[in-house]
Formats: sequence, C-alpha cells, structure tokens
Amino acid sequence: MDANNLNVIVGEGTCGIAAGSKEVIEAFQKYAPEIKIRTVGCVGMCHQEVITEINDNNGNRYIYGRVTKKNVPQIIKFHQGEGDRLNDNLIYSPEEQDTDKWKYLAHQTRIALRNVGFLDPTSISEYEQRDGYKAIRKILREMTPEQVIEEIKVSSIRGRGGAGFPTHIKWSFARKSEGDSKYLICNGDEGDPGAFMDRSLLEGDPHNVIEGMLIAAYAIGASRGYAYVRAEYPLAVKNFGKAIRDAHERGVLGDNIQGSNFSFDIKIKEGAGAFVCGEETALIASIEGERGMPRFKPPFPAVKGLFGKPTIINNVETLANLPWIINNGGAAYAAYGTEDSKGTKVFALAGAIKKGGLVEVPMGTKIRDVLEDIGGGSSSGKPFKAVQLGGPSGGCIPESLFDTTIEYAAINATGAIMGSGGMIVMDETTCMVDLAKYFLSFTQLESCGKCTFCRIGTLRMRELLTRICDGEAEMSDLDALDELTEQIKKSSLCGLGQTAPNPVATTLRYFRSEYEAHIKERRCPAAVCKKLITHTIIPADCTACSLCEMQCPVDAITGEKKVKGSYIINQAKCINCGMCFEVCNSKAILVK
Amino acid sequence: MINLIIDNKNITVPRGTDIFLAAKNNGIYIPGLCYHPKLSQYGGCRLCMVEVTERGRTRHKFSCAQPVSEGMQVKTKTPEIIKYTKSVMEYLLAHHPLDCPTCDKSGECGLQDITHDLKLSKGRFKTVRMNKPMRRDNPLLEFNANRCILCGRCVKLCKDVEGVGAIDFQNRGINTIIGTAFDKPLDCSFCGGCLSVCPTGSWQDRTFKFRARHWELKKTTSICPYCAVGCTIETNTKDNTVLKITSNDARGMNEGNLCIKGRFGHDFVHSDKRIKTPLIKKNGVLSPVSWDDAIGYVAKRFREIKNVYGGKAIGGIGSEKCTNEDNYVFQKFCRMVLETNNIDNLSNMKSPLLNTLIHKSIVHGFTSTTSLKKIEKADTLFFVGADVTEAHPVIGTLARKAIRLNKADLIIANLRNVRFDSIAKNDIRLIHKLGTQAPLINALIKTIIDEKLVDLKRVEKATDGLRELKSLLKTFTIKKASQITGVSEETIRKASALVAKPGNCYIVCGKDIEEDPSGPDTIKALMNLCALINTASSLKTDAGKISLVFSRLNNNSQGANDMGVVPDFFPGYLDIDDQSNRKRFEKSWDTKLSDTIRKGTAFNLIDLALKKKLKAMFVMGENPIVNFPNGKTVKEAFRQLEFIVVQDTFLTETAQLADVVFPTATFAEKEGTYTNMAMEVQRLNIAIPPVCNARQDWQILCDIAKKMGVTLFYESSKEILDEIENTVPIFSGIYYERLIRQSFNWVTAHKLKSRKYKFEILNPKSVTVKKKRDYPFLLLTGPSLHHLGSFSRNSNSLVSVASECFVEVNRKDAQQMNIHDGDEVLIESIQDSMKLKAKVTKKLPENMIFIPEDYEWVHVNVLRDNVYTKVKLSKA
Repeated sequence: MDANNLNVIVGEGTCGIAAGSKEVIEAFQKYAPEIKIRTVGCVGMCHQEVITEINDNNGNRYIYGRVTKKNVPQIIKFHQGEGDRLNDNLIYSPEEQDTDKWKYLAHQTRIALRNVGFLDPTSISEYEQRDGYKAIRKILREMTPEQVIEEIKVSSIRGRGGAGFPTHIKWSFARKSEGDSKYLICNGDEGDPGAFMDRSLLEGDPHNVIEGMLIAAYAIGASRGYAYVRAEYPLAVKNFGKAIRDAHERGVLGDNIQGSNFSFDIKIKEGAGAFVCGEETALIASIEGERGMPRFKPPFPAVKGLFGKPTIINNVETLANLPWIINNGGAAYAAYGTEDSKGTKVFALAGAIKKGGLVEVPMGTKIRDVLEDIGGGSSSGKPFKAVQLGGPSGGCIPESLFDTTIEYAAINATGAIMGSGGMIVMDETTCMVDLAKYFLSFTQLESCGKCTFCRIGTLRMRELLTRICDGEAEMSDLDALDELTEQIKKSSLCGLGQTAPNPVATTLRYFRSEYEAHIKERRCPAAVCKKLITHTIIPADCTACSLCEMQCPVDAITGEKKVKGSYIINQAKCINCGMCFEVCNSKAILVK
Repeated sequence: MINLIIDNKNITVPRGTDIFLAAKNNGIYIPGLCYHPKLSQYGGCRLCMVEVTERGRTRHKFSCAQPVSEGMQVKTKTPEIIKYTKSVMEYLLAHHPLDCPTCDKSGECGLQDITHDLKLSKGRFKTVRMNKPMRRDNPLLEFNANRCILCGRCVKLCKDVEGVGAIDFQNRGINTIIGTAFDKPLDCSFCGGCLSVCPTGSWQDRTFKFRARHWELKKTTSICPYCAVGCTIETNTKDNTVLKITSNDARGMNEGNLCIKGRFGHDFVHSDKRIKTPLIKKNGVLSPVSWDDAIGYVAKRFREIKNVYGGKAIGGIGSEKCTNEDNYVFQKFCRMVLETNNIDNLSNMKSPLLNTLIHKSIVHGFTSTTSLKKIEKADTLFFVGADVTEAHPVIGTLARKAIRLNKADLIIANLRNVRFDSIAKNDIRLIHKLGTQAPLINALIKTIIDEKLVDLKRVEKATDGLRELKSLLKTFTIKKASQITGVSEETIRKASALVAKPGNCYIVCGKDIEEDPSGPDTIKALMNLCALINTASSLKTDAGKISLVFSRLNNNSQGANDMGVVPDFFPGYLDIDDQSNRKRFEKSWDTKLSDTIRKGTAFNLIDLALKKKLKAMFVMGENPIVNFPNGKTVKEAFRQLEFIVVQDTFLTETAQLADVVFPTATFAEKEGTYTNMAMEVQRLNIAIPPVCNARQDWQILCDIAKKMGVTLFYESSKEILDEIENTVPIFSGIYYERLIRQSFNWVTAHKLKSRKYKFEILNPKSVTVKKKRDYPFLLLTGPSLHHLGSFSRNSNSLVSVASECFVEVNRKDAQQMNIHDGDEVLIESIQDSMKLKAKVTKKLPENMIFIPEDYEWVHVNVLRDNVYTKVKLSKA
C-alpha cells in the first residue's frame, strides 16, 4: 500500500497538544513526508490523547489512542502493509467496532459537539461541508425573528450556562426592549475547575458558535456582539479569531449578511482571569472597561445591559446548539430529554474516573450511566463516593443518588445544580470536608469583595472548615456553618455568592457523619486531613527496602536496610505528607 | 407618585425612588453604609435588608437597590431582618481594628452608630487583625485600609462626582482593598471628597489628625473665602482654633463638595505670619504701634492731604475678598469722609466694561440664574474661555452632575485645551486661534441662522436688528469662520446644534474672555447668541433657556462691584452723575456729598498715581503690586505716592510699601455677606474671636472716620446690611436673619426692567497680535487649582501640595529647545525676566507659554505689559 493514499487526522485540541500531538505530527512528516495530515479539535476522549485516525484508500477508518512519536513508524508500516497492528492502542477499526474504548463515543448523543473532533477548526469550508452556515442562510431567507424565537420555544432549550433559564423567554425580553442598538454576548468565561466544554467548542468548532451567535443576534435584533473568552484559552482565542475573519470573507458576518438587512459583527474580549466575570453583570462591567464586579438587578441586562443597551448573554454551549435546532427543527431537539429538560447536555468528566473527557448525553440519562457506561467506572477500582456537579457553585451528589436522572428539577432537588457541566467524580479516598473546603476556598478567593456576606462570610466558613479538618472544632460549629450557609445564599448580590456555600450545604446534608467523625472522634474517615491521620509501617509487609527512609523529607523514618521489622516512623517528626505511602512498593504503610 | 406602606405608615413618593430613600425621607431608619444620596447605588454592604410584600409574595430585598412599586408593603424591623443585619455587623467588626480611641471618626462613625443601634456587644467570630499597610504618601490624606469596609463610596465619588478616578478596588476576596493604579502615590485634585463620604475612619485628614475629638468641635456654617463659587462650608473649631473645614451635603449649592482650597486651605487663619498689631513706618521700617496711635496717625495724615491737595488726591482700592459690608463702608468712607471718587477694585480695573455688560445681560434676562446649583439641571454646558477645573472646581462638579444624571452635552471653547474630565457623550472642544473668540461665537450665530436651528420669525418679532445682523454676517461664511478660528466646519456645526437644541444651556464666560482686549465684543456676541435662542423659545418656563454666567475671580469680586467700589456707580449700579441717585445717598448718609463725587477721567488709579494726580492710597485687603498686570508700572505708581495705608491679614508686597498697616480679621473671625458669581448673597458667621488683635475691616474704617470728625457708627454687620437694604434698590428685601436659611439673589429678587433686545452689530473680526522677532512666544496666564491670593500662599497645606510655580511649554517647542519636564527655563519679556521649572504639555498651542498667576510669591505680573505679553524662552 502506498502511504500517499493515507489520510491522517490528529487531534489537536489543548489536551492533544499537551499530550504531545505536535511531536506525533512531526514524526508523521518525518517518516512519511508525502502523507496528508489534517488536524482537528478535541473529540472529547481526553484520556486517549493523542488520538490519531488513519483513513486508508479503501475507505477504512482506524483510530488509535495514546499515540506517541515512537508509535508512528509502526502505524505507518502497518498501513503500508508491513508489520503488526498497534493493537494496544486501537480504539476503532473496521473489524472491531465495539471496543470498550469506542463505547465512550458510541454511547453519546452529540448535538452541540457534533463537529468537534471531526473537522479542522481553521477551515470554514470544512464547516460548510457539514451543513455549516446553512441555518443562518435559511433564517435570512425565510424566517422572521419572531419565527426564530418560536422555533427555539418549540425546542425548549434552556440556558446551558448554569441557571437553566429558558432561552426563548430571555430573548423575547430583549426583542421587546426598545433601543437603537442591542448587544449579544457569548459567555466563554469558563472558570469552574475541571470544566472545559466551552474551550473545546471554541477551539474545535468556532464557526458553529459564530453561527449560533448570528441566529441569536437575528432573533433579538442585535447588531454587535462580543465573545468573552478567557485569556487562559490562547488556542480558543486564536481559532475563534480566525473563524471571525474567515466568516467576514465568506460574507456570513459583517454588514448586510447574504444581501439581507441584517448586519452583525463580533469582537473578542479576552477575560483577565476572574471567576466572577462569568456572572452576567460582572462580565458586562468587564467589557465596559470597569473592574469586573456584579451590579444589582433590576434593571436586567436584557433591558439595560452593556453600555446601557439591551443585552443578551448566552453561554457557548447554548449557542452551539442553535444551528442544529434551526436545521433539524425545534421538535427534533425536543425529542431528546425529559418533560422538564429537553435536548442534550455536555459534561466535562474528570476526577477518579477511568475515561475522562467531554461527553454529551441526552437529558434524562442517569448519572450512573454516564459514569459507568461512558466513563468506564472508577479509575482506582475503589467504589465511587460522590460526584460534584456544577463546579464550585454546585453541590455533591452521593453514590446513593446516582440513579438521579440528569434534568434541571431532579438535580436541583439534590441540592446540587446542573451548572455549566463540570462533573468531578470522587471515590472513597476523598474526604468530603476537605473537598468542601477546597471548593469554598476557590470561591472565597474569587469573590470580588463587593458584598459583606460573600467577602467575609465565606472566609468565616473556610475558617470553620479548617478547624474541622484540623480536629479543633466543636459540634456547635456545624450549626454556625448551617447559619452562614443560609445567610450567604440569601443575602449575596450575585450568583457567585449565592451559590458559594453549596458544596458545604450538600456535603453537610449527605455526609454529616463524616463531619461528625472529624469533630467528635478527631478522625478523618478518608484519611486525608493531615492533622487527623497517622502514618505507620506494617512490619509484616515491610521489605526493609529503605525507599521510604530516603524519600522522607523530615527524616522521620528510621531503620536498618534489609533488616525486616526495623523500620518505624517517629510520629513526633512526621508531617503526614504521604511521601512514604506513595513510594512504598509493598503497601506496608498504613494511613489511619 | 407611588403609594406604599413602610412599617404600617402610608407613604407617597415619586416613581423610581428606592425603598431606602423613601423610608429615610419619612423618618423610618434603615441601617446602611454603602448608600449615599449623592452617589449611584452600589448594594455592597447588605445592611439594608427589608421584608417586601407585593402581589401576594413576601420576600427579602435590599432596600437601596429596590425601587418602590404601587401597593408595596415593607417591614424594616422583623426579627429575621434584625438577625441578618446583626450578622453583617458581626462580619464587619470581626475585621475592624476597633481602634476607636485613636480614630478621628469616632463619634460620627457610621459603623459605631449602627453597632450601638443594634446593641451589639459580643460577636461570635474570632477577631482578626488585618495589618494592611497604611497609605501615607501625600501631605493631606491618609488611608487606613484596616478600617475600610469597602462600601465603595470614595471610589464612586472620586470617579463620578470629581471626574478624577484616582482610586479603585484592587485584588479579590478578603484581600480586596482601595488603592491607586500600580500603587503609585495618590495623585488627585485633593478635593477631600473621599473624606466627606467615608462612613468609617479609613480616610483621614492628616492636617487634623489627633487634634480634637468629634464632640469637642464647634461647627459654624460659613462661606469659603477663596473663589467666586461661594461654597458653603462648616468651620470646625475647638478652643477658638480652626481645626478643619467640613461640608454639609444638605446646605449650600455645592452639595457638600469642596475643592482643595476650600477643604484644606484654612490654616492661614492661624499662620504665624499674620500681622499681629498695627504697624507704622518709622525710618523705613514698619514698627508695631497701638491701635489708637495708628488710627490717630492715619486720620491726621488724611486730613492734611485733604486740606492741601483736596480729597480727590486720595485713591481707594476696595477688596474682592472682604465682605459686602466692608466694601459698602469703604466706598462710603471714601466718598463721604475722604471726599474722593477715585475708588476702584482690581476686577473693575482689569475689565472696566464688564459691569455695564453684565448689567445689560441681566436686563435682557440672559443672566438670571437663581443659583449656580441650576447648572446641575443643564442640558448643554458651554464654557467659553473658562478653565473651570482650575478656577472654579465646584462648577465642574455641578457640570459633571448634569452630564451624569441629565446626560448634558459639553462644549468648551478655549485657546488652550483645558482639562475637564467628564463622561459627556458629546464633548466638543473648540480649540481656536489666538484672538478669534468673537468670530467663533459669530460663527455659531451664523450657523444657527443659516440652518434655521431656531424659529427666526419669532426672533424677528421680539428683537430689533436681526436683519442688520444677517446682512453683516452675509459674507461671513462658515468656511471663512473655520479658516479664521482654526475650528473645523463640522465642529462649528455640531456645537451650534447643541447650543440651539431645546433644554437649558448654561454658558460660563471665563476670565480669558473678560480680561481680553476683545472681551466686550465677545460678550456682546454671546448676548446676541442668547437673544437668538431665548426669544425664539416661548420663555414662559425656565426650560429652553440659555443663561450666561460671568466668571469672577474671588469670593466677593461680584460684591465689591455691587457695593459701588467703582468710580462710575453708587452701590447697586446707580449712575453716580444722576442727581436723584446722589440725593438718595445724601439722604441716607445724612450728608452733603462733595462736588468731586462724579465720574472722573478714563484713567484708572494706577495711571492717576503715575501722573502724580494722587498723593495717597488707601488699600483694603488687596495686593495690587502682585495681582495687577504690568507689575513694574504698578510698583512705580506706588512709589510716587506720599502716603499709603493698607489693611490686610498678611504683610503682602503692597503692605510692605505702606506707611501704615492695619491687621484685619479673616473669614473665620468675621461676619457679613459675600456675593458669588451668580449674584447669590450668602452669609458667613463668626467661628472664633479675632486672632492676634485683628479687627474687622469696616470697624477700622469707622474708627478712622470718627477720628476725622465724621460719625460712621455701626454695631454690627447686620446694621450695615440694613442700611444697604434701605438705600440700595436692588438689595431691598435682603434680611440678615433670613440669609441664615437661604441665600439672596439680587437679580431674581427684582424684576429688572426688560426692554426689547437690539442685536449688537459688530464686525466679526479677530484681534491680530503683532509679532516681535526677539520675543517669539506669547505669555498666557491663568488660574490655578491650588492657589489664590495671599491666603493660599500662607496655608501650609496648600503649599505642601503645590509648592512651586511652573511654566507650561508646548511639547513641540520643548522638543526644539531640548527642554524636558522639570528643567529650569528663563523667561524674558521687555519688562523683566524670571526662572521657572518647565512642564511640558500638549494642552498649549505652539509658540505660547502658560504660567499660573496665583502663586502669589512668583510675580508673574512683572513680566506682563498691559495687553499681550511677548516673551522669549531659553533653557537656564
């Protein structure tokens, strides 16, 4: 077989680049300079990066995962008809279509992500080949803004940024607002730790987001748009910027688009790294050049927003669904999901899970199905304990509630929120108090400092949690936590403050016994909180290899090499850093 | 109007009011620390929670950010709300240093008050000291971040009210702090507004620190002694010492806003440089004498001079800084006792036609602004030749309020690109060429006529001479105007449209116009502009009117002229040659005025002295040696005199030339009235007894008169004002007691006769300034934010911030001459030369330099000749 006929596709999202996709591409060019290489965005299987797809001249697809530059010669050789197949890395081949790895994609329903990982994000024509800019052309030809809003109403899509406000209602507010100019903002300030839905969309399918913005702008009557993208997403900024320029050239962006009366232009505004700027009013303040601090509502942005003009802010994922809805009809979208929540939702799966990455599933899927079927179960093999949904603003859902279906009402009933889609999975080794402390510290540091409850109240909560983790708390502190939770939720100005206590509230609700163990028994059941645990050596298991002794940073471990049972840990010196546990090959370190 | 119930009380308030204000205005207390009526809502402190029931739903809302709605029921004191409010205070107090014993704010601190109110004695949280560093990078203001509760009031005041924006929030979460960009030293106008709105002791007045507790201070309402805006101030005293100046938001048109001079420039009152006793010159040295000796000596010498040369050999210069009462007695003393009409004040000497022009403007209703506060209701603001930021900062504050709340448009016509910070949507700068201000105004008139921006038929009916004006301007095309003035046609058109648009337009006519040789022409053109727009509108309401406000320099420049310290008029602009006016005063003063009391020659006092027509000069509270152009000539004129008497607080350059010097009281020790530039008469009150033997100016005059055998007897300022009320028609109806509550405006108090306006037909010609080859630069002088006269010069606070005079040089000129910021340059005119530090700027046109004229110790006037001064510049 001739290498000339091979088509190689390499995933080059940020995760791909981090896993070494540049090196893989270089290797392909080195070993087979004549080969055609395309780069695409992240297909969502971040645990399998670098993913490489080979299309041979017979039209067969072979997909390999975790490819390194060392694998490249073998792959080339095999497809030239020599040597063995790289079986360990194979995800998909014409012969084996139902591999365990392939399940990850096969069990998803991809609407927002339909193109991500399949097209070159820097090529507008590839997007057009996949029905790109068909929706906006259709709208301009045959639909009024009211009809567009009606179609979105039929689809029943709700804002994917977190709060889940019905998109068509928000739009009709702005549609009705009087004003010579209106703004549409694409909110890509994705700040939740562990969430990367927006990044993938902006990097991997920017034209889809632009088309979504065009549809929204047409519906509300906006002539100017901003894409607020985190500056920490350089590839997203780059690809999105190129997409805007290409769209201009193609005449789908700018003045009198496709010869209609509709004009729309987009500017990219790079966020400066404040979590709070994901909040609507703070985001508006940031674009206006002010410090990103939330403002009180009313007036709502749909009435008086950016520069005092009616403004609609839609999340990247919401926008990415719109072209599909217009092309296939609102009813087709509404066919997915449940009575309460229609369509699909993208999640960023991370934490103690075998297959982490981006997944899109229909509303109504059980959490357990996402974790087991797609995620492939716990990475450590230990049982799941809980899942944190919605990032620092969300809450913990315990394993016992994993049969909860993914829809707004059901999720909210657990005390968590749908959020923008961060799904962080925890197994038994996670201490829930420590987890609550981690998320609360994040919001506490990211508070803009405006309102007293959020600025000082969250600090007080963190102090209480620190006391609990340090084993210095009393039971009355739990009441104080309850009270603070209630007050901060109720009295904070913006969403950041109102949701900041959620991780604490939900862990207190589902894992109160763990809190009580910290307080009453001065014990950390997950053996995480440093001040409440001890490291000891189990003499029977110790091989006296001296590795732990060498690694201990405070010289707390003493013993004689090759003398079994001689190694002990001096508890007065030990700082519970866990280094000995990490290095021990014979699992002889007991953490309690 | 909206009806609602707050705490079972039925309340009616205007639509759009927030619950917080509705409650406050109806005597219901809701705690709040970030709310301030002057500023936009912030909603950060979370103290003002209330329970709101509307449309059957009961929810907790924050009252400062929640507008009222019909039928709303509000409860402010439920147990739940008190619990929340207490929690907020607990949070705040856990971090507050609680250093009340050493905090100047103690006693008037919002945090203290609410703590006390909620009976909070013990918090549940462990106290945490923040130990943030103090900001102590300037002589006046200090910031203690540990006491700060981040209410954001200072940030908003600095940005919105003052237009400065020197401070903002920094960092996140608990580390949020108020600070300057890049942590540089505070660089602002030092208005002290942050001090006035801070609810805690975070911002501190360094000049006041540790000098008194709040409850020891006596607050006396008074009027600021600096510029002609006339801000209401509160003089805070303890043990007869002025310790600080504060302001009350509810009093005066300044709404609690002051500038650096008003807030910090008070320490001259207790300066050790004050004249402590009367002085008489013996063997060329001024030596202390008793009051009796000094008064006796002056009376004797005046009598001698009067006998030998006649009364008219004595000149009198009244004061733009003294009260109306002082000035009234001064002109009465000169005319009645000294029998001279050679009296004047410096503002009239600088622009002799201004009084007549202002009077004309008043008669035709162009200047009928009841108060400067009206400016905040403006729809268009037009500053002509006025550097508001430097000269009248609080007018700038009022203008910014109009821009912020009323969305007013702004036009600034000036030779220099003067600084004015605002957020106006239409901010038009008409930077015109030298001497073309009159053509520029005519260009606006021409555009309005040509483009029919007003109803010309109406104008024609209500005025005379529109046809002549039209034919005069026939050949004066916009294109030509643009060429002459250097302002683009488009800008002229845009400005014309803004001036002519419906709504209130306020024109502030500045010193650059008034003191310019072409000033009268420009002012007449401005009046034509006013006539064109005002007669076209219905004039029934105040809306749709254009008003002219004339700038004045000092706190009572207007009053000195009103009180007749001018050669042409008796008090109240009554023609001095009119026999009925003469009789009116003879009757009131119970005297027969000398024949010399009539209009004299066209020469001013300096000219008369130079011509040796004057033998003696009586100067009250002025320093003409420094403050009058052509300083060399002024000095020369004073040298010609045989006898000079000066009344002043400080031994000024003029006082040093005097034969007798009387020490006078300052604003803090005085009572009486000042008249600001909008003709508002406002009352000041005695805060402390006279410092070091000083006397009120009018008292000294009465004492001399008595020694000269004429009884001028007044017990108090009130008696003088009563006499003014009785005698001077425009002041009838002014009562001393009523002035405590309300100012008196003599323009609006009397319907002055309005005649049909006749357009002034003036050729729109520009003034050409001849070039001198050896002196290529033109010297411009102007006001300074930090200094004004001998008061600021003796205020350590002001000098500490602005210690050195400077010369502004255009960037291009500076580049050519290799001059950099801070370099010393030599400025030479035909008259004299001086060295100053350079400030390189883009504000100036090329070939011009600018020197602020109010650094009194730098005698800029010696460089100047009467009209445009040409100078040369070199690196020293």
